[in-house]
Amino acid sequence: MSYDEWFRTDRLPHIYCAGCGNGTIINCTLAAVDQMGWKKEDTVFVSGIGCSSRAPGYILTDSLHTTHGRALAFATGVKMAKPAFNVVVFTGDGDLAAIGGNHFIHACRRNIDMTVVCMNNQIYGMTGGQGSPTTPLKCLSSTTPYGCAEPPFDLCELATAAGANYVARWTSYHVKELEKAVKVGLETPGFSFIEVLVQCPTAFGRRNKFRQVADHVEFLKSHSLLKAKRDRLIDQGQPVPEDMFVVGEITKRNRPAMGVKP
Amino acid sequence: MKLSIDENRCKGCNLCTKVCPYTIFREGKRLNRKGIAVPELDRPERCANCRLRNLYGRQLCGVCQLTCPDQAIHWVEEEPYEPHKVAIEY
Repeated sequence: MSYDEWFRTDRLPHIYCAGCGNGTIINCTLAAVDQMGWKKEDTVFVSGIGCSSRAPGYILTDSLHTTHGRALAFATGVKMAKPAFNVVVFTGDGDLAAIGGNHFIHACRRNIDMTVVCMNNQIYGMTGGQGSPTTPLKCLSSTTPYGCAEPPFDLCELATAAGANYVARWTSYHVKELEKAVKVGLETPGFSFIEVLVQCPTAFGRRNKFRQVADHVEFLKSHSLLKAKRDRLIDQGQPVPEDMFVVGEITKRNRPAMGVKP
Repeated sequence: MKLSIDENRCKGCNLCTKVCPYTIFREGKRLNRKGIAVPELDRPERCANCRLRNLYGRQLCGVCQLTCPDQAIHWVEEEPYEPHKVAIEY
């Protein structure tokens, strides 16, 4: 189909495990990028280290596979040197929230014109399933064998508080919504942050009763709460279910942005 | 248009069987030469995009293609005058 020409087809099939949702997110992002009508030589995909960061290797445009956590720092450099380029950053939760947390909040604060797609699988998948800053409470991982005791990061709230222009959260089940959200993010001047919760059958699912991919996708589907519905529940004074996560467009505003294409 | 699954790319995760609104994809039984049970197509002439894509001139549905993590699902143009079944939906 149309966005197929963005793939480096000689590299496919890719290295991700069977059932990993990262490929879904690449599909959605590329479908949105294709709708923007950008030229391949003016588009740069940047990534750090991790499962998610293998993604630009399968895309035909120029890409940067950088050091752990520093994807946003390198992307800032690309955008400052070449403001005419369109910069899209693929990153994971361990890359963005743990080691690159400081780069993340400062990229939000500067409001640089780029789009960040965070594939949040809630664990360090590539290195053997260690707990990450987004591992939910009581979830098992190889570094939290009795259940995670620390409350997780809410990356969308963090990005909103730090000043990003567009913040959205979807899951790998909501492909059409994700495609639209990425498209809005690409169109928005300033920092756009799209968090995507994704299934990881190998590292996360194996320890948390989601060994079957379908079970984890079903969990993502049934535990996502639309933002409009959350707001309605709060307006009516009803309790918001605690085990559910909010999906939808969290923030859209028009702060002064940096590095916008002249 | 007709659906096709690329056997070289499919890893047998069966996500397509969960997301298709027409449940066109079925879990495969036969292993291919890579040892993967590629999903089978169950009456693919029911697919909305196959039937109406050329008439509407745009992508319809397409959830299976977007969801497939291994980029294995495609639509291919049919040969001219290729015989095919007609699905009637009431």
